[in-house]
Amino acid sequence: MRTHNRAGFAIGLCALLAALAAAGCATGPTGETPAQVLTPECVSRPDRVAGQIDVWGWNIAAKSLAKLVPDFNRRYPHVAVNVDMTGANLQTRFLLSLSAGVGAPDVSQLQMVDAPKYIATERLTDLTPVAARYEKSFSPSLWRNCLHKGKVYAIPWDMGPCAVYYKRELFERYGVDPEKIETWDDYMAAGKVILEKSGGRTKMLPLAPTSLWMMYEILLQQNGGQVFDDDGRIAVNTPQSKQVLETLRKLLASGICDEVAMWGHEFMAGLKSDSIATYPIAVWFGGTIKDTVQEYPGQKARWGVFRLPALEKGGLRTSNVGGSVLVIPDQCRQKAAAWTFIEYALCTREGQLAQYRHFDLFPAYLPALDDPYFDAPDPFYDGQKVSRLFATDLTKIPPLNRTRDWVEATRYFEQSLTLWASRGMHSEGFFATLEQKLHRRIGREISPASLSLAEGQAHGR
Amino acid sequence: MADDGDLAGPARRARTRWADVRRHWHFYVFISPFFILFAVFGLYPMLFSLYLAFVKWDGLTGMTWVGLANFATMLEDEILATSLWNTLVIGLLYVPPMMVLAFLFALALNVPWLKMRGAFRSAFFLPCVTPMVVIAIVFGLLYSPERGLLNYTIGRIGLDPIPWLNSEAWSKVAVAILVVWRWTGYNMVLMLAGLQGIPHEYYEAAKVDGAGAWQRVRHITVPLMRPTFLFCGLLSLLGTVYMFDEVFVLTRGGPGISSTNFGLYLFNISFGDFRFGYASSVAYTVALAVFVIALAATRRGRASPDEGEGGA
Amino acid sequence: MRHRIKTAAGKLSLYVVLAGLALVFLVPFYWLAISAFKSQGQIFSTPPQWVPSPWQWSNFEDIYRETNIVRAFLNSCVIAVGHVTLSLFLCSLGGYAFAKYPNAPGGRKLFAFVLGTMMIPGAVTLIPTFVILMKLQMVNTWWAMIVPGAANAFGIFWMRQYIAAHVPNDLLHAARIDGCSEFGIYWRVALPIARPALAALGIMLLIGTWNNLMMAFLLLRTKDMQTLPLLIYLLQGETRTPFGMLMAGGLLTVVPMVVAFLVFQRQFIAGITSGAIKA
Repeated sequence: MRTHNRAGFAIGLCALLAALAAAGCATGPTGETPAQVLTPECVSRPDRVAGQIDVWGWNIAAKSLAKLVPDFNRRYPHVAVNVDMTGANLQTRFLLSLSAGVGAPDVSQLQMVDAPKYIATERLTDLTPVAARYEKSFSPSLWRNCLHKGKVYAIPWDMGPCAVYYKRELFERYGVDPEKIETWDDYMAAGKVILEKSGGRTKMLPLAPTSLWMMYEILLQQNGGQVFDDDGRIAVNTPQSKQVLETLRKLLASGICDEVAMWGHEFMAGLKSDSIATYPIAVWFGGTIKDTVQEYPGQKARWGVFRLPALEKGGLRTSNVGGSVLVIPDQCRQKAAAWTFIEYALCTREGQLAQYRHFDLFPAYLPALDDPYFDAPDPFYDGQKVSRLFATDLTKIPPLNRTRDWVEATRYFEQSLTLWASRGMHSEGFFATLEQKLHRRIGREISPASLSLAEGQAHGR
Repeated sequence: MADDGDLAGPARRARTRWADVRRHWHFYVFISPFFILFAVFGLYPMLFSLYLAFVKWDGLTGMTWVGLANFATMLEDEILATSLWNTLVIGLLYVPPMMVLAFLFALALNVPWLKMRGAFRSAFFLPCVTPMVVIAIVFGLLYSPERGLLNYTIGRIGLDPIPWLNSEAWSKVAVAILVVWRWTGYNMVLMLAGLQGIPHEYYEAAKVDGAGAWQRVRHITVPLMRPTFLFCGLLSLLGTVYMFDEVFVLTRGGPGISSTNFGLYLFNISFGDFRFGYASSVAYTVALAVFVIALAATRRGRASPDEGEGGA
Repeated sequence: MRHRIKTAAGKLSLYVVLAGLALVFLVPFYWLAISAFKSQGQIFSTPPQWVPSPWQWSNFEDIYRETNIVRAFLNSCVIAVGHVTLSLFLCSLGGYAFAKYPNAPGGRKLFAFVLGTMMIPGAVTLIPTFVILMKLQMVNTWWAMIVPGAANAFGIFWMRQYIAAHVPNDLLHAARIDGCSEFGIYWRVALPIARPALAALGIMLLIGTWNNLMMAFLLLRTKDMQTLPLLIYLLQGETRTPFGMLMAGGLLTVVPMVVAFLVFQRQFIAGITSGAIKA
């Protein structure tokens, strides 16, 4: 009986193990070594490139990719494209799939500011063999974010050049000529005039002390300032930063700012009422203006655009906020097919113009800007050639060294700015303190060019 | 077992020990499957996590030793502070109503003449066996500002619609209501068990003394239920701190971070930002804090004088 | 006579109140059930529709056609059954050993040690578990959901308590005298007696595993490996959510748990209450 039961034990154990093994065998794909290295030969013959690719994107961007597919298939008939816009937490799932080595799509959208973080995981395909030739076709401020150790891992998709949207009637009513505004000082003076003449009812721009980062980033790119230097060290305490902070301070102190949260109720109401006169912001805001304004009945406000004021006379009158890129995860098995789609959507005039035309995605691909479409007058803006205005001086925008810690750093930056604004805007020591905070939190060294040493405010590092 | 009188004490103990082990070989074989898995997926992760608390690591590239830097960062982390605050607020919003409701329901279900007790119990208990993801989505519909059932009902009474999921204040309330709905039945069942452990004699004696129903509850039931209340309280503490599904699905921690509790915050820094080192240090610190609070609460709860045996 | 009427009125009002509250508690279930049969427009109609009209089955057709719901159901079942079986086996075998071999050297200390680890919440071990699974290339498999957590301290504690309290040593002696092997004693003597404890632990594990979203979200990376809760969650889109389909799928996810609960109510409740009393 004892032997019988020992056998029973053994059989039972084997059965259990077998069941578990069977369970283990029937699995989905697990992380395995990726196939292919991308080379120009892979894509040299359009009729030879074949495969089914999954593309992840969100919102309008994804829709615009989907719309490109029929025209894309005319060039590459054997590549089937599936654009997937569903599913919450896209970025988290993407990062999880990159880490696990399984489950990532063939092509994915990323925000430009996030790109360095994902590229640093070293789980994206090196696109240099096929993409290096496009380096000069993009503004350096965008291309820089796509590089890692000299290689290309992402392609810029769209960008957000900045200018000022304004309401023509208000300017006419209060006698302000937008053409005369060249610097931020001119802008503030105009704002004060409007404020006075409207009896305090009309503010010049929306700027909330709790969300100063976007304006800071816009201004920072106008004088070549940085958060990180070329070697990735913390470089916030510089003359450029101080100039930007001083401009912010003057804007807030002048009383011309409507302190409403972006996208909030009053912010959107300002589009339809007299409470806000201008919106210094990126081109993608135009879509919101058109949608919101056309929503309500009655006489519509007339809008126009003038160039972003410079920090100093003769300085750069544009900047960049936002934009996305496309990447190919290393685990992709159809790298050639995936690349052909990216190339069509992002590196051809055809692809880029179609997206601008139908979905207002401002092309990052510079050759596309030569198209006469950009010189067409826009009836919504009283016939102004708005596209050409936004397309000016884009190669002059200095690249920001974003590094993989960009999003985290800007979070701390915004918190510090909020604190600064709420406590009387004392700029003395602001950058020295911020520098230390970033150093402690992110663990990066402080640039030797930092002014903290000279100011006698350096602490032990 | 032959007693070898020549050997010295320790050696003999060692031999006896080893003989014991060999005699009990079944024990070790039987616990080994459990322990092997436990070592790999229970023990090792606990130790590895402790180690990670002192490094900076993104899970993919290299690990850097940073000593106590993570703990220093924790002290200045405003988002962590906000999430702990939110956790406290949500806890204060839902725990008292839930405990009161659970107690009242338990009292009601404990009434001797009640029929259909099982049906009522099921109705109240069912919420906690269902997948939270589905329930949270349903609640999301009910909370819809213009078309949800809740605001419709509120509108019929004549009040203004409430911006449930769009307001920083109300999102916490929305989460609280969801949690009350889900866990009241569970606590009710626990309290019911506690009630059934109170000897009838006490109530009889009180009735003889002329005590009314509510007086009996106040002076007999409540004090004797203290251990049960304590147990429910501890479960609620753990539940509030580590609550995940409700917040993840219903509000995603928003608007902004106004309804991000600690559980979601930890998830975000672990698998959103992939800051494995920092997340480990945060996890351990808060676990320690919760443990200390739980210990203190238990000591205080047990230290109060009990009138006779409580609970069981 | 007045006393009797008052008591009758009192009883009635208690029933009415309880029934009313029970109905309120059941509203979300009702809403889920009827929304599964409504179109997107009907779900968002004002005033809200209490009875779908027209009643439509298309959501179920849609979810069958457009998603992997059948596969997801299979995944959920395999994972739930696998996890519960593995866990019950490990915990009962180990619990039996701790209960019935009290003289084994180091046994007490080992048990106390395992118990001690119960203080450490699961949140602390989540990252290392993920890392281990990544290194073992087990991510996106059924294993990943079945194995971690199967050896759980509460389970072994639970089984040990029950077996120690309800399996008399005389039975074990008798079985030994009859020539039964040690494993045979566990399998034929202890387990049948421990059935209520197994049922209680089993149903708790079942419900926890079936409903689990976080682990599924982290570990199941492709559509063919998703469990039902994960599939439902991911049906929510950034801009557009097909609520009709979602409710239909949700109903399919909820119903098995409701059925399991109604069948195993007693065991489940016995499980959570005796745990409380011991504490």
